[in-house]
Amino acid sequence: MSLKLVGVTVASLLVIAAAPFVGASLQGDDSGFILLQLRLPRTLLGALVGATLGLTGAAYQALFDNPLATPSTVGTTAGATLGALAVLVLLPGSQMGLPAVTLAAFAGALVVTFAIAAIAASGRASMNDVLLAGIAITLATGAVTTGLQFQADMAATFEAVRWSLGHLTQVGYRGVIMLAPVTVVCALILLFQVRALESMLGGEERAHAQGVDVRRTRTICLAFGAIGVGACVAWCGPIAFVGLIVPHLVRLSLGSTRRVLLPMSALVGSSFLVFCDALARCVVPGQDLPVGVVTASLGAPLLVFLVARRSRA
Amino acid sequence: MAEEPGRGLAMVGLGFQVGDRSILSDITLEIAPGDCVAVVGPNGAGKTTLFKAALGLLKPSSGSVTWEGMDVRRMGGRERAAALAWLPQRTNVQEAVPVLEFVKASRFRFSEGRAAAVDAAMEALRAVSAESLAQQAVTTLSGGEFQRVMMASLVAQDAQTFLLDEPANHLDPKRQLDFYGMISRQWQQGRSVVCISHDINLLTHLSPLERASDVRVIGLDAGRLSFTLCLTDPSLKDALEDLFSMALRVVEVSGRPYFLPGDEARP
Repeated sequence: MSLKLVGVTVASLLVIAAAPFVGASLQGDDSGFILLQLRLPRTLLGALVGATLGLTGAAYQALFDNPLATPSTVGTTAGATLGALAVLVLLPGSQMGLPAVTLAAFAGALVVTFAIAAIAASGRASMNDVLLAGIAITLATGAVTTGLQFQADMAATFEAVRWSLGHLTQVGYRGVIMLAPVTVVCALILLFQVRALESMLGGEERAHAQGVDVRRTRTICLAFGAIGVGACVAWCGPIAFVGLIVPHLVRLSLGSTRRVLLPMSALVGSSFLVFCDALARCVVPGQDLPVGVVTASLGAPLLVFLVARRSRA
Repeated sequence: MAEEPGRGLAMVGLGFQVGDRSILSDITLEIAPGDCVAVVGPNGAGKTTLFKAALGLLKPSSGSVTWEGMDVRRMGGRERAAALAWLPQRTNVQEAVPVLEFVKASRFRFSEGRAAAVDAAMEALRAVSAESLAQQAVTTLSGGEFQRVMMASLVAQDAQTFLLDEPANHLDPKRQLDFYGMISRQWQQGRSVVCISHDINLLTHLSPLERASDVRVIGLDAGRLSFTLCLTDPSLKDALEDLFSMALRVVEVSGRPYFLPGDEARP
């Protein structure tokens, strides 16, 4: 078990370290610029976003005691998408550009998730009800988003579709520096919930009897998960599947112990997204695929394979 | 029973209603340190609700539940967890975590390092003779093993009072007795024990023979206390007959009373 842990850790770090060197060959005068100013910040961005999505997914799955809970099932992603598309569609070609989209996406994510967190914090709703509410809000938000796209002209729609695929933008170090504090703080706060989440393995009422403030844990996990994911989605669009797949990959390879699952979901999330992004650079030469396309098309079969292998064992 | 407040768990005039359905009404009950109390009653009598109210999981519609004079719903979580530990009737664990990690998780109330928590969890597993299960996944345990691990969780939480809800349900006869022996040892080590059961023949195993008169049996019927009797009280048979609406007869085996169905239908 601990050998596996070391193996996965080393492999993840190697993937992240090697990623900037993957892609069109680095020769010529501008190779230093490409490596240091383009690929390195992009790898760092991918690592931050992947870690946040993986960790938040693991925390949500532990909190809801449900393997299908992710930032996208409780409305975080849908809220961000609605916010971003509202700006892209209603203010087409606006000169406000990226900051406006980013802020709107962030605001959308927070509004929706805090509505869900308020339901969870009331303590009256069971976590399944909260999940159901999240799914309902996700669907409703999706409908409004589609309605917005329907109203929009071709250019705005095209822009919106591109955005909603998920991509690691060429934001340079500025994006990394803006994203890092938010995601790191959120990650630390989530990691501090590990003991409470361990106690919840036997259900929320039992955790309460063991001294856990269940409502507080619910609120903290949902709120700081949403802030972290909201910030990531705001910069990168809704990158599909990372929050769902990564915790399962970790669980299947290293077990479900919360103390391992949460931090390792962050690390594996980092390397998974960085790896997918490197792949996205190479698949079609000279063109970047949206990384969300790669995460979903690579991650989903991988997950199915692992689950099938486990059920045979 | 002493009148002064502030000794252990106390319920005064406790009532709990859902809509206009009364689940508990006017329960007054005190569990002092070192008490051993068996709660019996037919299905749906409100036994589990009583525990949930004791743990502050439910807001009473009337009356109060206090620990050492403090409202259990106002106590800090860790403080309450030091007073009361709970073995629920059903626990559904979906994740295949190792037993040791699962038991360790119930050390939440302690501010301690991981090594100390692991030691305490291992100690608790040893106390219920389940140390060989430490590395096994919780999800692969048999019913008897799982209950043992649940008991280890309570020992690891190290609360003053154990609230046990049908702890030996679904266990085979041998393991039922083993389990009650385990409860009995915890009681003799100084903890208070409140044990819900509708199996009236297990209750006698809550204590060693010589301490049977220290065990209180409380009858709960449709949310009301119907009797409080000592386990050795001869009128317990009549009280149980009333409670379960059936005729019983007492058979004594090596000094312990067992209740069997009576011959004739009850008038």
